[in-house]
Amino acid sequence: MLAFRGEAHVERWCEARRIPQGAVFGLDQAWGLGREWYADKLSPEWHRATPEEAEATWARLGLTGDFWRLA
Amino acid sequence: MHSSEEVDRAVRLCVYRRFLDHGTPPRVDQVADELGLPPAEAEGSFRRLEEGHVLVFEPGTLDVWMANPLSAVPTDFSVETPRGTYWANCVWDAFGVVAMLGGDGVASTHCPCCDEPMELGVESWELRPAEGVAHFAVPARHWWADIGYT
Repeated sequence: MLAFRGEAHVERWCEARRIPQGAVFGLDQAWGLGREWYADKLSPEWHRATPEEAEATWARLGLTGDFWRLA
Repeated sequence: MHSSEEVDRAVRLCVYRRFLDHGTPPRVDQVADELGLPPAEAEGSFRRLEEGHVLVFEPGTLDVWMANPLSAVPTDFSVETPRGTYWANCVWDAFGVVAMLGGDGVASTHCPCCDEPMELGVESWELRPAEGVAHFAVPARHWWADIGYT
């Protein structure tokens, strides 16, 4: 997952590599992913999110649709 | 320490603590020594943590490549935090390093399209205003087919 200066930069980069564009979303949502996924990573109680928990986290951040489905 | 769950928890915490303290991940024998584990038990735990997608190894070894969000090899995601400066695996993990270490830090990267530098700062758990977007090339259900490219 990479950060670009804007959506047009993603389009140019994908075109140059002849790869389909994937999911484009805001840096605030990317920060939300980092926060939700890793804030408790150093806790003894940390556990890896189940697929259901992962999809629920992404949905809370507005990341929904087939791209974000694990099953 | 008896159950595999307890061993894996201790091994995980040991790997992360040493990674953060030294800037590089420990070898499996160093973890075994520190925790007083027989080498085979530490190796078994490393393999379980890999199967559980907690650790990622250099192919064919037990050498840690990723203990997400941390990367053992240099990347285009350098993260400066009060605890230290670390490599992250991607922009999600760059923010993850900041979150894991208390919610303050700056991730530095470059736009892959034009190579312009980007600085993404977080202060007291708030993202500073920044121009840009994030892009995932690979759908979520395929990430672990090649976790080095998402």
